[in-house]
Amino acid sequence: MPQLHVNGEAREAPQGIRNLLSYLRFDLGLTGTKYGCGEGLCGACTVLVDGQPLRSCMTTVGAVAGGRVTTIEGLADNGDLHPVQRAFVEESAMQCGYCIPGFIMGTVGLLNREAHPSREQIREALADHMCRCGTYQRIQRAVEHVAGSGVATQGGS
Amino acid sequence: MTAETQGTLAQAAQAGLAIVGEVSVGFPANRSGYGQSTYGNTQPQTEEATWLRVHPDGTATAFAGKVEYGQGIRTGLAIEVADELRLPLEALDVVLGDTDRVPWDMGTFGSQSTARVGLQLRRAAATARETLLRLAADRLDLTLDELVCADGRVTSKSDPTRGLSYADLLQGQSLVEPIAEEPALTSIEDFTVMGRDEQRIDAVARVTGRAVYSQDVQVDGMLFAHVLRPPSFGAQLEAFDASVAEQMPGVVQVAREGNLLAVLAESDEAGELAARVVQAEWSEQPGQPSRWDMPALLLDSGAEDFTMQEAGDLDAGFAAADEVLESTYYIPYITNAPMEPRAAVARWDGGRLEVWAGTQRPFGIRSELAQLFELDEAEVRVIAPEIGGGFGGKSIYAPAAEAARLARIAGRPVRVAYSRIEEHTWATFRPAALIRVKSGFKRDGTLTAWEFRAYHAGERVNIGRRGSETPYDVPNVQVSVARSDSPLRSGSYRSLGGAPNHFAREVHMDEIAERTGLDPLEVRLRNLTHPRFRRVLETTAERFGWGNPLPEGHGQGIAIGLDVGSYCATAVEVRARGSEVRVERVEVAADCGLIVNPEGARNQMEGSVVMGLGTALYEAIDFEQGRLLNAGFARYRVPRIVDAPRINTTFTGDPDTPSTGAGEPAIVPIAPAISGAVFDATGERHQELPILRHR
Ligand code: FES
Ligand code: FES
Repeated sequence: MPQLHVNGEAREAPQGIRNLLSYLRFDLGLTGTKYGCGEGLCGACTVLVDGQPLRSCMTTVGAVAGGRVTTIEGLADNGDLHPVQRAFVEESAMQCGYCIPGFIMGTVGLLNREAHPSREQIREALADHMCRCGTYQRIQRAVEHVAGSGVATQGGS
Repeated sequence: MTAETQGTLAQAAQAGLAIVGEVSVGFPANRSGYGQSTYGNTQPQTEEATWLRVHPDGTATAFAGKVEYGQGIRTGLAIEVADELRLPLEALDVVLGDTDRVPWDMGTFGSQSTARVGLQLRRAAATARETLLRLAADRLDLTLDELVCADGRVTSKSDPTRGLSYADLLQGQSLVEPIAEEPALTSIEDFTVMGRDEQRIDAVARVTGRAVYSQDVQVDGMLFAHVLRPPSFGAQLEAFDASVAEQMPGVVQVAREGNLLAVLAESDEAGELAARVVQAEWSEQPGQPSRWDMPALLLDSGAEDFTMQEAGDLDAGFAAADEVLESTYYIPYITNAPMEPRAAVARWDGGRLEVWAGTQRPFGIRSELAQLFELDEAEVRVIAPEIGGGFGGKSIYAPAAEAARLARIAGRPVRVAYSRIEEHTWATFRPAALIRVKSGFKRDGTLTAWEFRAYHAGERVNIGRRGSETPYDVPNVQVSVARSDSPLRSGSYRSLGGAPNHFAREVHMDEIAERTGLDPLEVRLRNLTHPRFRRVLETTAERFGWGNPLPEGHGQGIAIGLDVGSYCATAVEVRARGSEVRVERVEVAADCGLIVNPEGARNQMEGSVVMGLGTALYEAIDFEQGRLLNAGFARYRVPRIVDAPRINTTFTGDPDTPSTGAGEPAIVPIAPAISGAVFDATGERHQELPILRHR
C-alpha cells in the first residue's frame, strides 16, 4: 500500500484513483482545505506537498504518495499559530474567510522558496488565488508584514 | 455536528439570566419602495424570544437571526453587547442563524435591519446590566447610584473593594427578564470597545480551517448527491436510463422526482462518475433570448413603471436649458460568484427536518421547506453555518430543498453541493438594466431638468428602484423605474439596482461636465447642496489630490453615491494602455453614521471597491438561447490580487447619527468613477459595461 504523510501522520493511500481534495475533505475530515472551482483556477484548495503549494483539486492521492502533505489544519504548532496565520489575523485579512486557508498555504509556500519576496513577487505568487470578498490589499499587507519581519516562516515541510 | 435542539423560549428557563423580547425588529424601513422583504417570509410565530443569556459563570451569549457571510456581523454584535454589558469581548459568544436557537429574523441583507438587531441586543444587554445592578444593590445593601458595572463585576463607586462578579450574582439564580421599555443605553462617549479597531472574534477559526461552512458539513450516513442539471434553462426531463449508473461501485440509487434527477452515492467522486453514464432526455424551451437581444428586450417589455421622484415641470425645465443631452446606458447581467458555491445537507428524523444551508435567510428557507413538505415550521430547523460570501444572492438557496427532497427519497441524509459551474449557472444574476437619461442644463452646468427612465430585468417589481433618485438639486425632475422581462433568473446583489442606476446618473454628470467644459468635480459641486453629500465629495477630492497632474496615460474620475442611508464618494486613478485598463488607486469617503467597528467597515469598503471594479471592467454574463456561455472562472474574469488597487478610506459620519451600514455604499460610485477616469485618460466615453469588452 502506498503511503503518504498528512500533517505528520502516516496514512495509507485509498485504493483506486482518488482526488486529493476529496480525500482530505471527506475521507480525512480535513475540511479547512476548500473547494472553490475544481478547475485549478481559484487556489482555495491549496495544500503543501513537501513544502511547495499544490492545487489539491487537480491532483490524485496517488500522485503525492510518498510525499508529506500539509493542510491548513497542520500549520499551527501545538496550538501556536504559524506566523503567516498570525499576520492574517493581525491585518484582518479576511472577510468570509473561505479563500483564506488557500492564501495562507500559498504564502507559506512562497516564503519557503523566497524568504523576503518583493511586492511584485508576492502579487505574482498569489495571482492564481481568488478572493471574491476583495480583501487583496489586506492580504498583501499581511504577507509583506510577515515577509519583512524576519521571523522564521518555514513550515509545512 | 448538531447542537441540542431547544426552543428559544425554553432556553429562557435555564440557569442564569435570560433577557427576552419581541422578535420582529429585523424589518428594514420601507423607504422609497425598496428594502422590504420581497420573498414572502412567513411572519414570526412566537412574539418573544431570548436575545441574551448571562450564564452562571459570568459569561454571556447573544442570539440573533442574522448570519455571518464575511461582513463581520458576529464581531459587530459582540462589540455592542460587550459595551452595554461591561464584559470583555472574550466573555461573549454570539449564536447566529440557527432557527431553533435564535429569534426570528427576516434575513441578512439590509444594513438597516442589521443595525436594528444590534440596537435590540444593546437594549437587551442594558436590561441585563440593570438587572445585575439591582441584584447587587440588594446583596450589598447599597443604592443603585452607589454602584457601577465594569469588566463583569458590580462594585461600589466609593469602595472598589466591595463588589460582586456577575457569576457571584447569578449563582443559583434562574431569572427571566423582559427587555426594559427604555433601558439606559450607554452614551457614545462611554463606549470602551465600540469604535475601536477590533479584530474579528472569529478570525482564528478562519485561519486555522476550523470554521465550518455549508460545503464542509458532513453528518453520519450522509449520501453525496450528484444532480444532473438540464442542458438549458427551463428544460424538462422527459425520460432517463440509469441502469448502467446504478451498477457502478459506490452508487446507492439514482433518484428522480419531477425535474430533479440525481445520483446518490457513498462518495462525491462515485456520484460524479456515475452521473456521466446516466442517459437523460430533456425537452428544451425554444426561442429563448440571447445576450445581444437584451437592450431591445428591456425596452420593449418594460412594465409597471413606478415613479420614484417627481417635481416641477419637465417641459419647462428643458425649455429653460441652454443645452439638452440624451444618453442611454446599458449594464449587463453579472454573477455574484461567491467563493463558496452553495451547498446543503438535509436530514430527516421521523417527521422532523434539519437542513444546513449557508443562506442569508434561514427563517425564510424554513418557511419554504415547511410549505413544500406540508410541515409545521416548528418541525423544520435550518442552520446557517459560516457562509463563504453571498453579496445578497444567497437569499435564494435552491440546494436546501433539493437535499431535503433527495434525503426523503433515500431515507438517509443527503448533501447537495454546487460545483463552480453549477453555482455560476443555477444561482441568480444581478439583473441587466437599460437606462435612458435626458438632462437640461445651463452653460454654467446648473441642471434645469432631469428625466431618468430605468428598465431593470427581474421578476420582482422593486428590483431596480434602489438608488434611482438624483441627489442633485434640480427643480424639474422625473425618475421612473420599470420592470422588464428577465430571461435569466434575477436575484440580489450588493446594492442590487443601486449600482446600475448610479452608473447611469454619474456618467451622465460627467457628460454634462464635458459639454460645459467644466471639471467633473465642479459640475457635481455646483448642483449639490446636501451637507452630508458635500462632505464626502469634498473629503474624497481633497484626500485624492483631485486635479493634480497625472503621468502620461493616466486619468482620474470621481462619483458620488447613496445606498440605504449611507453616503459615499469615490475618486480613482487609472492607467490605460493598449487594451488594458488598470485601476491604480482609489480614494473613498463614506458617511455611514455611527461606526461600531471601523476596521470591519473599512474592510467592507475595500471589498465593495474591488467587487465594483470587476463589474466596471470585466464582468458580463454571456448567454445564448437559455445556455450560459461563460460559466466558470476560466471564462468569467473577476478581480485578482494583481488587479487590486491601493484603497484609502475616510469616514466622515457623525457618531450621533444612527448606523446605516458599510457593506454596500462603496459599490455604487466605483464603476462610474472608473468610466470617468478612462475617459480622462483616453477620451473614450463608456456608457456600457463592462468597459474592457467595449474597448
Ligand atoms: S478548487 Fe482547486 S483551484 Fe479552485
Ligand atoms: S474572504 Fe471571502 S473570498 Fe476571500
